[in-house]
Amino acid sequence: MSDKPARAIKLNVLNEPKDSYTGGPSSLCPGCGHDQISNVIITAAWENGIEPHRIAKMSGIGCSSKTPAYYLGQSHGFNTVHGRMPSVTTGAYAINKDLLYLGVSGDGDSASIGIGQLIHAIRRNMDMVYIVENNGVYGLTKGQYSATADVGSKKKKGPANETQPIDLCALAINLGCTFVARSFSGSKKQLTSLLKAAMSHKGFALIDVISPCVTFNNNDESMRSYGYVKENEVTLHMADYIPHFNPVEEIEVPEGHYRDITLHDGSTIRLETISAEHDPGDAMAALTALHEAETDKKHVTGLLYFDASKPSLAEDLGLVEEPLLDVPDEVLRPDKASLDALNAEFLS
Amino acid sequence: MDRIINDFTINIATANGTGSQSANLILLQSLFDMGVPVSGKNLFPSNISGLPTWYIVRLSDKGYQAPGDRTHIQVLVNPATWEEDLAALEPGSVVIWNSDTKKKTVERDDIISYPVPMSALARKINPKIAKLVTNIIYVGVLAELLGIDQACLESAVAKQFKGKATAVELNITALGLGRDYCKEHLTKEDAYAVEPRKVEKPQFFIEGNEAAALGAHYGGVQLLAWYPITPSSSLAEGIINYIPRLRTDDDGNATMAVIQAEDELAAAGMVLGAGWAGGRGMTATSGPGISLMQEFIGLAYFAEIPSVFWDVTRVGPSTGLPTRTQQSDIAMLYEGSHGDTQHIVLIPGTVEECFEYGWRAFDYAERFQTPIFGMSDLDLGMNRWACEGFTYPDQPMDRGKVVREQDVFEAFETFGRYLDVDGDGIPYRTLPGSGMAPILYRGTGHNPMGVYSEKPEDYYNLMQRLRMKIDNARDELPAPILREEEECEVGIVFLGSMENSIQEIDDILEETGLKVSQCRVRALPFHSEVEAFVRRHETVIVLEINRDGQLYGILRRELPNDLVTKVHSVAYSDGMPPRARIYAERILETLEEVKQ
Repeated sequence: MSDKPARAIKLNVLNEPKDSYTGGPSSLCPGCGHDQISNVIITAAWENGIEPHRIAKMSGIGCSSKTPAYYLGQSHGFNTVHGRMPSVTTGAYAINKDLLYLGVSGDGDSASIGIGQLIHAIRRNMDMVYIVENNGVYGLTKGQYSATADVGSKKKKGPANETQPIDLCALAINLGCTFVARSFSGSKKQLTSLLKAAMSHKGFALIDVISPCVTFNNNDESMRSYGYVKENEVTLHMADYIPHFNPVEEIEVPEGHYRDITLHDGSTIRLETISAEHDPGDAMAALTALHEAETDKKHVTGLLYFDASKPSLAEDLGLVEEPLLDVPDEVLRPDKASLDALNAEFLS
Repeated sequence: MDRIINDFTINIATANGTGSQSANLILLQSLFDMGVPVSGKNLFPSNISGLPTWYIVRLSDKGYQAPGDRTHIQVLVNPATWEEDLAALEPGSVVIWNSDTKKKTVERDDIISYPVPMSALARKINPKIAKLVTNIIYVGVLAELLGIDQACLESAVAKQFKGKATAVELNITALGLGRDYCKEHLTKEDAYAVEPRKVEKPQFFIEGNEAAALGAHYGGVQLLAWYPITPSSSLAEGIINYIPRLRTDDDGNATMAVIQAEDELAAAGMVLGAGWAGGRGMTATSGPGISLMQEFIGLAYFAEIPSVFWDVTRVGPSTGLPTRTQQSDIAMLYEGSHGDTQHIVLIPGTVEECFEYGWRAFDYAERFQTPIFGMSDLDLGMNRWACEGFTYPDQPMDRGKVVREQDVFEAFETFGRYLDVDGDGIPYRTLPGSGMAPILYRGTGHNPMGVYSEKPEDYYNLMQRLRMKIDNARDELPAPILREEEECEVGIVFLGSMENSIQEIDDILEETGLKVSQCRVRALPFHSEVEAFVRRHETVIVLEINRDGQLYGILRRELPNDLVTKVHSVAYSDGMPPRARIYAERILETLEEVKQ
């Protein structure tokens, strides 16, 4: 025991300090939206009381995909190849379905080179959290437009973008994705609640996070700059997350209307209505909200769409209950009698 | 007239999708069940229905399995190739033809002609399926002409239509109609005949792809991620078909997962994900799929992820001839992906080896923490080959250097994912979820601790270690099969399905007075015995089914300088399974050139 008086360290439900969830120092540009998201990941995993080593950090290639080095240092991770993180995650999941797969990707990784894999992971309702750190430009290659750049938006150098963007949330809703949210790296509270909810979801949870690139796309003419997003964010609702290990009574009940959504692990996300009420079970309403925002050159944030009814990939695979990783070798390899029987049948 | 017994080739020309494959397999199986050494080659088009198909049945008491030099008996059912097939026949050949074929006849007086109204006979049975039945009628005619045993025919029909009583009955009736027509209307004028043979060891017929699929199960495969492509689909489907029998518990739950991926890139990604997580993942594809997987192959090599890729090769480049055979992916597999790489390639030449490498591939992948390729080809994978039975793995699964227990982990003085603790180039790993030594795996440069590094010495040392790791594997991989002559004048180095033509090539060469030794390479990098074989022989020919001599190129580069000059390439490919005489003649030409 030290002689110094013990400093009060906040612990989570597993009695772990937040330090157990941090990673190495970031090498991104100071002020990068991605670093804010990394901090949110640390907070959400800590507050949700997830054992850090039971998380798998997955990423592709790009500024965003470098970030797994900056959070959850006690978790294994795989910084794969450009746009192919969903397939690697799917293969890992088939072997060990008990880990929480936390994928981080960017707009180049997800909306261009990897859009096919994103689509098919959604189609399989692969059980994972998929964060897109979306800034509208390729950062590591020094500022080319990506496929999510808004029409009329202008980055620091070069002409304005005139090519129609791909809205990953609209795409995901159309594909039947079971959890679709959009947020902003500057909206820490909302993003944290959405991420915690996504971690409690069984199935594919997409969070498209507008995350400004301070170096190449943070000028006033850019529709993905801090200034622009702050001015033009349309928040669907305030979001609060109530973990399954916390009695609901302790949570302050908001005065206005709210909607509670129960997640697969028994946790709740509470959506407090701001103006018009948004029903996350209504895909048409979600698409309308996205379309209206685009028309008004705004960014709509919140839990756009949610569906707890679809089976996730694990149920489709028809596997034994324990993760395949834990099936003993003697069970994986059929016994000798089975081969003797096959040989005999072939010979008959 | 002297009879020609068990030594001739039958060529059957039909249209794809008319059920001819069933008829041809019944013919093949019945001959096989009589103990006649026989091989069948299906030359099929990239098409579901309508395009021409040829099936070549070769009977050979010598056991030759290559397609013969010529056709002795031609069955003509397909009007589309009628004239072409007829014109190709040598004088004295036999033609059995469907005389109900509109506007087609056989007018050659130098051949023996047996017209059979196959369509009319087929219509007698059932007009609605006459087209399908037509094919089984020629089998009946052949049976009668050649003397194929009726009991063997009937059991072959039963095998072909397992449990479908109506189909069995219908086909046996059709066989009878063919036989009866032959008895009543044709007089045998040819010399060809079949005689039963006593087989020393009982054998069965099986395709290489099914054998490899079974092998994968006995290797405890945990994930099959695949994208359909000819000629590998039947390997993947073979795995799937055996899951209920071999890999399912009493509650109907499987101990392996199957995911049909969106493309080959994703299939490769899933295989890597499985290996990263600590499981046994594999894919089955062909050359075009391997082309697409190159990026992941480099990642698996550099990040040291156990992974298994089966390449059932077909004719390239590009889409090439998708339903024809070739050995043209050797270089791509051995050095797959950009940058300096080197991969372990297992090269089966028999169905027994397809099975064996099916399970061994996983042991090698986990032992060496690297991608392992199985290289089969269309000929071996999709044709049926005689097999005496599969041998159960003689050792427990080798899961490699995985640290699973905390006390083992703590015994390490320093634990680094890429630290060469044992000096064999193979580091230790811990698995995601274990909580032990977590790292962020990456395709970027890294130091022995697994941390990103661009330091010159880290990169240099890493690349040297990777080279040493694969180099050390050489003599742990299957050794070459050697069949040596005392003279040690000429040695032939070859690989894979050439196994099925080599004895005939050897015999043709021997007719000219040339005795050659054989060395069948069964893995890359080359086993040290390959170099010793080259050293022992005066002249070495590297024989392969491609244009450029890919195996030759690799061997030349890896041999010591003093041996390089004695090695010569004979590479030939026209899409056909290797016909012995073509290769034998090219070997003789090359040896002649060497002498000069």
